[in-house]
Amino acid sequence: MSRVTLEAVGKSYGAVTVLKPLDLDIADGEFLVLLGPSGCGKSTTMRMIAGLEAITTGTLRFDGRDVTALHPRDRNVAMVFQNYALYPHMTVADNIGYPLKVARVGRAERLAQIEAAAKKVDLTPYLARYPRDLSGGQRQRVALARALVRSPGVFLLDEPLSNLDAKLRVAMRAEIKHLQRSLGVTMIYVTHDQIEAMTLADRVVLLNDGVIQQVGTPDEIYDNPGNLFVAGFIGSPPMNFVEGLGAGGRFAGPGVTDLPCPGTGKLTLGFRAEDTAIADTGRFSGTVYEVEPTGEATYVVLQMGPHRVNLRCDKKFRPDLGTTLRFDLGAGQALFFDTATGQRVR
Amino acid sequence: MNRGILYSRLLTFLFWIAMSALTLLPVWWMFLVSVRTRADLFGKPSFLLDVQAMTWENYAAVLSNPTFQKYMTNSLIVATSNAVLVSVLALLAAYAMSRFALVGKDNLFFWVLTNRMAPPAVFLLPLFLMFTGLRLGDWSLFDTRIGLILLYCVFNLPFAFWLLQGIVDAIPKELDEAAYVDGASTFTVLTTVIFPLARPGLAVTGILTWVFAWNEYLFASTLTSVEARTITTGLAEFVTVTGTNWGQLAAVAMLTLAPAALVLALVQRHIVAGLTFGAVKG
Repeated sequence: MSRVTLEAVGKSYGAVTVLKPLDLDIADGEFLVLLGPSGCGKSTTMRMIAGLEAITTGTLRFDGRDVTALHPRDRNVAMVFQNYALYPHMTVADNIGYPLKVARVGRAERLAQIEAAAKKVDLTPYLARYPRDLSGGQRQRVALARALVRSPGVFLLDEPLSNLDAKLRVAMRAEIKHLQRSLGVTMIYVTHDQIEAMTLADRVVLLNDGVIQQVGTPDEIYDNPGNLFVAGFIGSPPMNFVEGLGAGGRFAGPGVTDLPCPGTGKLTLGFRAEDTAIADTGRFSGTVYEVEPTGEATYVVLQMGPHRVNLRCDKKFRPDLGTTLRFDLGAGQALFFDTATGQRVR
Repeated sequence: MNRGILYSRLLTFLFWIAMSALTLLPVWWMFLVSVRTRADLFGKPSFLLDVQAMTWENYAAVLSNPTFQKYMTNSLIVATSNAVLVSVLALLAAYAMSRFALVGKDNLFFWVLTNRMAPPAVFLLPLFLMFTGLRLGDWSLFDTRIGLILLYCVFNLPFAFWLLQGIVDAIPKELDEAAYVDGASTFTVLTTVIFPLARPGLAVTGILTWVFAWNEYLFASTLTSVEARTITTGLAEFVTVTGTNWGQLAAVAMLTLAPAALVLALVQRHIVAGLTFGAVKG
């Protein structure tokens, strides 16, 4: 296990900066998820931690020790790649045992550790097979076992579930979380899937354009987004936004009346679909644009001026298209952002 | 079966029979010459084998000839050493070119290929001067097996490098990275990951460069005299001013052909796999 510290770590390719200097302290045994859209720098950050990309600026420390210039083999990290990166010419046992073979661990000891790692991920019956004979989920497990076998200080997982089908992804997600909890290892996990991030992480680091947008627990990020990007990225459906003006402690926008607000000038109101409640006396109103039943609930899409917002309603609720609906929010469920800067206004 | 398809198949079959005959008839004729006595050779020509009259005496004479044995040994050593050396060097070069950011990489690759574009005969005179002129005491590269091995290496490397570059490029870089993270050094990655995965390509490279060195005549006849002469140059020695020993010449030709044909037959599956490796995304 290791504590990982990034001190102003940045990455540039010539004049192009892909990751602005970032500071991050990952505690021993923590499950940290790097989340963001494609090209935000999350995989680059992970590859720099692994030693597969040179760090342009800053210092990387494992347990206080400077590892910035160390070769990947000297960092005692294990990594699970997006496409698993299993050695196709080796059996499952040889794949799992490869790190031990490289470290010149004796044959008997090696076999025992291979057995133990395979058992942890239910691969024992498949040890003699080749990767080409395995399903996607089994290959994923081989990659996990190969990472587990040498008890590394840090586990790095680069979008490990993205090649699996939806059902298997949910199952593997639980397995990975259970594994991390039971072993108590430091795990850094890269994903662009916010559901994966929310379900797995102790803490989420949300990146965009090579800049950290927010660091926090899944609840903090969901309930208290620091800016418009975070608010719009986290949650499904994403947070609803209505642009308007704040003056004299009141917010006015299309379909919104008499709403207290903290700032003045151009503001963007944000609220989540599940925080809304249909009410004849509600302060918000809009016309029904579309009705989307999902089985467990019905989402009503309302047109409020130029904006469309989602309301989560009772599963039996079926309003007619074009009718006007009024709704309201509970206390503290309306969030405000500066429209120009995108920053939260509190 | 549809009559059209039947005719089409028959035509294809006849075409390939004709092509095979065209290729194999000279070899068959050479075999017939090699198993006939000198008297029979100048009798009525025939494409049929007379089993009663056939003789292995030409083979026996050639195989018991110490000069022929030396030529055969030289050819085997030169061709095999060349194949091994070229395959190893080309794999290292291809790996470096494929995986590392080298300055002027594309130009370097093109320059290496251009080395193979000039006709080899152009280099004959400078090479002769180099082989005889560069001396270490009494020793020079002229008439040595090491001289031929190094020279064939120069001519084979560009082709081998070009062939292996494509093969190494087709091996996902993530495998190297996974191995590095698993604790491997660059050399370990090369020996435990790249080498096994590039084996079909290496087989092709090895065989083709082996066959090139085995069949090479121009340099071997010019840059050797007695000690390092190879079997191809030996063939010419059967043609003398006093006459040609056709029977023994054909026997040597058959024996020269045999190893190359045998090697190609054994590894032809690898050759097909190697030449098409990476052609489609796996």
